[in-house]
Amino acid sequence: MSRTTRIWLHLALILFAVLTLVPFAFVINNSMRNNTEIYHSFFGLPEAFRGYSTAWFSRLRGDDAPVPVKLDDGEVRQAAPAEAMSIYKERAATGYRSAWRMIRPYMVNSLVVSLATAFGVLLLGSISAFVLSRYRFPGSKIVFFFVISTMMFPGVLTLVPSFLLVKQLGLLNTYWAMILPYVAGGQVFVIFILKSFFDGLPEDLFEAARIDGAGHFGQYRFIVLPLSKPIFSVVLVMNILGTWNNFLWPFVVTTDSSYHVVASGLYVLATSGNAQNIGTLFAAYVLSSVPLLVLFIYATRPFIQGLTSGAFKA
Amino acid sequence: MTTERTGWFGYRARLTLSCYALLAATLVLLAVFVYVPVVWAFSNSLYQFEVGGEAQFIGLRNYQEFLFEDAVTWPSFLNMALLTLIAVAARLTVPLIVARFICSLPHERGRYFYRLLFLIPIVVPGVAVQLIWGGLVYAERGLVNETLAAIGLADWARGWLSDPRTALVAVAFVGFPFVFGFEVLIYYAGLSNIPTSVNEAALLEGCTGIRKFFLIDVPMVMSQLKLILILTIIGGIQGFEGLIILTQGGPGFKTTVPGLWMYYNAFSFQRFGYACAIGVCLFVIIFGLTVLNLRYFRSTEELEGAR
Repeated sequence: MSRTTRIWLHLALILFAVLTLVPFAFVINNSMRNNTEIYHSFFGLPEAFRGYSTAWFSRLRGDDAPVPVKLDDGEVRQAAPAEAMSIYKERAATGYRSAWRMIRPYMVNSLVVSLATAFGVLLLGSISAFVLSRYRFPGSKIVFFFVISTMMFPGVLTLVPSFLLVKQLGLLNTYWAMILPYVAGGQVFVIFILKSFFDGLPEDLFEAARIDGAGHFGQYRFIVLPLSKPIFSVVLVMNILGTWNNFLWPFVVTTDSSYHVVASGLYVLATSGNAQNIGTLFAAYVLSSVPLLVLFIYATRPFIQGLTSGAFKA
Repeated sequence: MTTERTGWFGYRARLTLSCYALLAATLVLLAVFVYVPVVWAFSNSLYQFEVGGEAQFIGLRNYQEFLFEDAVTWPSFLNMALLTLIAVAARLTVPLIVARFICSLPHERGRYFYRLLFLIPIVVPGVAVQLIWGGLVYAERGLVNETLAAIGLADWARGWLSDPRTALVAVAFVGFPFVFGFEVLIYYAGLSNIPTSVNEAALLEGCTGIRKFFLIDVPMVMSQLKLILILTIIGGIQGFEGLIILTQGGPGFKTTVPGLWMYYNAFSFQRFGYACAIGVCLFVIIFGLTVLNLRYFRSTEELEGAR
């Protein structure tokens, strides 16, 4: 490949990346500004940024002369560079501080629900996949069909009756209203993926374990678990991603704001007008992305490899 | 296989029993939280729910109303069709082109970097993405309008989501330029699985550039394209979460889709029976498409077997 083609390729890819990421860049930028700043000029950098860097620069020069500091209410006063820096730092953080106060309960709820769901899905899914993959017993085909058939029912069919069911069971405004249906639905995909993975494991391994006296649990614990770590992590990440992003179901089954998860909570925040500062809202969007970012930093490699190795093909 | 008996329970019987014991939790959860709602969807669709009163059996009246009498129905299906069409066009082209570009890079480090770069937006919750598009990109004083003003086209500025003429198209263009990390990865997987012999043969025959893209690459990732096609169509029929956030179906009914109409009937008007009927209708469409896809899909599998 010639040098020019390569440069063109990089340029095209970077252009795509910039266009994709531009809205997010503005979110981060505006999360550090207040309403006046945003309305005054949409494209500007945060005032806190400019002020901070000016103060930092004059301190770098060893210049301790007071610099003018524009306060939140528009007043200007003189302050030593070090003090100016801390004022500006405080201002950049205001949005984040109030955003964190508002979404902290949602974060905790989301964390509880997604961890419980992921645990339930992986536990039930892997046990069932193991049994269905490794044993032939009367009715095993029917059971597998019973499990897999549920994939054919789309969420749009079951949304309303599921709500009626959860309401009838008295589970509205509880964590269970989310966890139980998530585990019930989520395990199917896990069974599907893991069963085909277990089907590929050599039977000799299991036979050797059985000869050594391993029961169901022994085979599961000493053969299945160690061999399926990579695929477990892919399934885990996809499950947490799905739970964290689910908006509609939590929104429908939790009317009590103390059970809102991040997704439904953000919507309520944005539409209720409780956050008068736009910057605070943007800060909340940024904060709500942090947990998945952390998850991704740990799990990108298996995730990208799992998807790239062609596990998903029609 | 040993068949020694202990008591009146044979080995096989005990094995079967223990298997069912292990499967019990899975089966109970599926029965309660999937099969009961499925049955209820069909049965409730035959009833009329009164607020505070008994549900009344009305046969197929709900279906009749939805398919023939409700003035919202057909416009909403048209909106759905348009949104789905744009989504299909977007998801089958842009991510494939980007994946092709990434695949052409000579170093694995560069390829990994770009795959990662386009995957980053996945960490932003879907709701936040919609809120960002509604509140920052399309807002009255948002990215689009301010950009237009900055390049001297201030006259074009408008409330993109509140103007009846632009609302639907604006909704369809959420996520522009449509480089979705997930799709990019799937196409990338398909492209990088093309055997080197095929690529070398193409090179020898002088088949490069755009010609190679259409004659070699596209046919070789056909199965991935089909997967994304069916997922996007099903997603388009089901999806209305974004619309709750962006437009609530408005202005008027300009961006209402059948799924959203179902949602409003259930959770705003308490017409649960009617909502279930809408859900069943959408299910029938999705089911029909799935059956079609399975037929089609089996035929390509046979082709591959014959190769």
